[in-house]
Amino acid sequence: MSIYGNAVRKPITTLMIFMAILVVGGYSLYHLPVNLYPDIEYPAISVLTTYSGANSQEIETNVTDPIEQSLNTVSDLKDMTSVSRDNVSVITLEFEFETDLSEAANEIRDAVGMVEGNLPDEVEDPVVFKFDASMAPVIVYAVTADESYEGIEKILDNKVVNPLKRVEGVGAVNLRGTPTREIEIAANPHKLKAHQLSVKRLGNIVRAENLDMSAGDIEMGQMKYPLRTEGEFDASYQIKNIPITTPAGKTLYMKDVATVNDSIGEKTIDEKVNGQKAVRMMVMKQSEANTVTVAEGVNERLTELKTSLPEDVKIQTVFDSSEFINDSINNLSQTVLYAFIFVVLVVLFFLGRWRATFIIALTIPIALIVSFIYLYLTGSTINLISLAALAVAIGMVVDDAIVVLENITRHIERGSSPREAATYATNEVWLAVIVTTLTVVAIFLPMTMIGGLTGVLFGQLGWIVTITIVTSTLAAISLTPMLASKLLHLNQKRSKPSRFNYDRTIRPMLDRLDNWYGRVLQWSLHNKKAILGVSLAIFIASMFLTNRIGTEFIPQADQGRMSMTVELQPGTRLEKSVRVARHIDSIIYDAFPEVEVLSTSTGSSESGGIAAIFNSGGSNTIDYMMHLTAHEKRKRSVWEVAEGIRQHLRDIPEVKTFNVSTGGNQMQGTNNVSVEVYGHDLQQTTLLAHRLSDKIKDLSGARDVEISRKEARPELKIVPQRDKMAQLGLSTAQVASALNNRVDGMLASRFRQGGEEYDIMVRYKKEYRNSIKDIKNIKVQNPAGKDILISEIAEVREFYAPPNIEHKNRERVVTISSKPYNTSLGELATSVQKVIDDTEVPEGAMVEVGGGYEDQQESFRTLLMLLVMGLILVYIVMASQFESFRMPFIIMFSLPFAFTGVLLALFITDTTLSVIAGVGAVMLIGIVVKNAIVLVDYINLMRDRGNDLDQAIISSGKSRLRPVLMTAFTTALAMLPMALGIGEGAEIWMPMGVAVIGGLVFSTIVTMVIVPIAYRIFAVRAGRANQKKVRREFSFMDME
Amino acid sequence: MKAIFIVYNQAHTEKVEYMLDRLQIRGYTQWTGVYGRGSEDGDPHMNTHTWPESNSATLTIVGDDKVDVVLDSVRKLDSLNTEVGVRAFVWNIEKSY
Repeated sequence: MSIYGNAVRKPITTLMIFMAILVVGGYSLYHLPVNLYPDIEYPAISVLTTYSGANSQEIETNVTDPIEQSLNTVSDLKDMTSVSRDNVSVITLEFEFETDLSEAANEIRDAVGMVEGNLPDEVEDPVVFKFDASMAPVIVYAVTADESYEGIEKILDNKVVNPLKRVEGVGAVNLRGTPTREIEIAANPHKLKAHQLSVKRLGNIVRAENLDMSAGDIEMGQMKYPLRTEGEFDASYQIKNIPITTPAGKTLYMKDVATVNDSIGEKTIDEKVNGQKAVRMMVMKQSEANTVTVAEGVNERLTELKTSLPEDVKIQTVFDSSEFINDSINNLSQTVLYAFIFVVLVVLFFLGRWRATFIIALTIPIALIVSFIYLYLTGSTINLISLAALAVAIGMVVDDAIVVLENITRHIERGSSPREAATYATNEVWLAVIVTTLTVVAIFLPMTMIGGLTGVLFGQLGWIVTITIVTSTLAAISLTPMLASKLLHLNQKRSKPSRFNYDRTIRPMLDRLDNWYGRVLQWSLHNKKAILGVSLAIFIASMFLTNRIGTEFIPQADQGRMSMTVELQPGTRLEKSVRVARHIDSIIYDAFPEVEVLSTSTGSSESGGIAAIFNSGGSNTIDYMMHLTAHEKRKRSVWEVAEGIRQHLRDIPEVKTFNVSTGGNQMQGTNNVSVEVYGHDLQQTTLLAHRLSDKIKDLSGARDVEISRKEARPELKIVPQRDKMAQLGLSTAQVASALNNRVDGMLASRFRQGGEEYDIMVRYKKEYRNSIKDIKNIKVQNPAGKDILISEIAEVREFYAPPNIEHKNRERVVTISSKPYNTSLGELATSVQKVIDDTEVPEGAMVEVGGGYEDQQESFRTLLMLLVMGLILVYIVMASQFESFRMPFIIMFSLPFAFTGVLLALFITDTTLSVIAGVGAVMLIGIVVKNAIVLVDYINLMRDRGNDLDQAIISSGKSRLRPVLMTAFTTALAMLPMALGIGEGAEIWMPMGVAVIGGLVFSTIVTMVIVPIAYRIFAVRAGRANQKKVRREFSFMDME
Repeated sequence: MKAIFIVYNQAHTEKVEYMLDRLQIRGYTQWTGVYGRGSEDGDPHMNTHTWPESNSATLTIVGDDKVDVVLDSVRKLDSLNTEVGVRAFVWNIEKSY
């Protein structure tokens, strides 16, 4: 027996099956984590190699080049980029999205292993690590304090950092800008000289004194006692009283030759939050943990922990990435809810019966909840893509149920019992229902097959819509007939319907609409050519709109946060940078009240290590993180604020370059056009890059124009003169370490107190290491015990070195990146391309356009392919449904007009054509085709039933108007909340709503007129030919 | 004895079965999924996309006295809604086993 027959015969079983689905779905929904996008593993692996003391050019030739050469053979490699900076080389290998990264990592390790032997000896082993989104902080807090500031690190470590690390999913909690206690022994070189001492000597003395050591055990009588020498300092003041014996045999104290300061170490970074001294606390998650869950846990724990902190310590959130996620997910969930309400209202409006509406509306939650089961089973999340997919599907899932229910109602009205009607009516339509579903699936399923970033984004959309639609079809042929058999009954015609009854209000209106449409159709059939001509003209005209609509990759969202990097003249001292930073701070306070939290960080923390990848700044860079007030509380958008700040920054003479960025996550970071200048000659390419960047800066739509090759930084180089040194018995190593001890300082020992260790550093007093002269006057003792001045054995030269050399696919490259403002990415790319065309490129250099624009082009190509594939599949489904090659063409006639509608809608609402809008357009095919199929199928039916062509067309048109309008209205209205784009994160999805509504409204109107005309034109001949053919086939009847 | 051939839209199946029970006619033969069209009006019931409905047919052999009762019931059934469709035809039974 059939599925619907069984469903009607066993209503309890049916109900239980769907209850089970609801229960499992509810469980899945409850356990599903929330995220902004589907989990995307950025397919990149980095190789980090440190080579202390080498400058960028040395790093490039000795480290980066050989490793790159060896890595070139790694399979599935998409791009290989590298940065050679002072001391470090970072090579990043980017793969295709589908690549198995652990396998790639193995291959990389092998390749690196092969070349390791050829690297210079001092190079440390290369580290291979996966580039991971979890390295970016989930939450950044700013901790401010007054009197507790000095000891803040310890307070935070004990009371906040360690407890937070125990929160589930937290990977690391880092503090930045904490004052670190350091005990400095600042020596006076003149006094050292007078007593024939050296920094190294002082250091060794401290090391020798600050010592605890076991001396074994002694046995006395019955007992055994461990023996220990304990010389470790208990308090830092003891250091200045260390006695020193000079080579001359005199005894003096440390305080006689040096000052001992127990205070905060020399700062390389200055952190301020809202102008107050602060520490940045960054919480990182484990790579597989969920951002929102981690943020929730951390925030909850932190509220508890706050109570145990001293009163002056305040913790503020600078940014919390879960906030935007939660807000936009909530917003989109609301959109789905509104869509649901709209759909129900439309169904009620057209059917006019409560019970029928209820039965149909019930398929919506069932279809949607199955997609939660899918998400749960695949380990995915509730995110913008999955929710948008639901909003898309919601208008479509009711269609099948409507068709089934309409037919059941017809049977009941003819006098069948609901039970019989449910079985037999479903039997009549189930196949047609499945075929229309197939056309929609034909559009959405290919989405799951595309690759690249677009594939990752829209694969989930494809799956969810497919699953929901298929579920809704299954529900329509099982649950709907079952419920209909139980709930529907023959309405006794009321003798006197009340004034506001459906039959007296809306139904006559709809009837009038049917009749009016019938007349329109009749008229159009008589004026076929004129109408076709006009439509074609409109279509062609609309194609010209494409030039006037901007393009972008993914629409930008106002996340209410900004980050900004300001660079001053390379080599600027921290103190000077801090002054500029305070000036910028004050401008932001005065002019931008929207900025709620302003976290400024000047300089950079220690370089080297993995942090070096993210941090290329020095004492001349100022980093800002800004958190704006809530979306609805401010008038200016984040982009307007950013633009305002840019204008102010331009007026500050100290500021060399700046970059204000308004997004925060991986998807949106790609909204830029970058020009890549290839060429080996550093000077030539730098010059060309500057020329291009100057021209791009003049473009009105370009902002944040940046050159990736940083400006050369002044360095002091001590060039040893080897023959002189050799004569004096000195080696470069001796000289270098002597200089390092005196300037940077010698780590003499560690001072232990309260379970913590603090560095004891010995170095020259600051006033004796502040000029080239001071450096030249530093003395090094040779083996003969003679003091030699640096100036005697080496030259001190000032020179400029490029701080970073970048490669892309093994070639030297400089990129000039720019972001669009008040224009689209596509337009900016076009004008940038023009700039390149107008610029003379010297021989040996090559210029290319890349960046986010490249991604955009790539995904547009993917979308186009998707479109073609969808068209072919839809054709296949239709051709087999109608068993005709010709019919699908008649139906596809309406498609171009859908795109006209999309373009018009985008143009009118001034929305850019993004991947999102593109997906909307692709989806339209399914919906529009579905509308046309309903119509054409019915015309076929009417003709088969013996109606004459015109009559068939007009009566089918009249009878199918309501179902077509209903499908169009449910889908369009479901998209309406999305298209309005209200609330956080809505900007991202607005284009899809706009595209679908525009395309749908326009093409529905056109479908109802153009498709019948096309049918009329194509089918006439077919009809006559058919009659003749049949007559010929059965020619026996005409025999004499 | 007469044979009554009742052919009807499958949507009438339950009603026809009930009718026979109610008239205390025990024996009958039923075919489901039979197709046909009426001689004068009504939609053909062909189980195709064009004419999606289909028929069932019941053949029952009854005593002469039952014929009019059955035909009367069939007429009542048809009067519910003539669009659905039910017809009954009667002929003689010569012999039976």
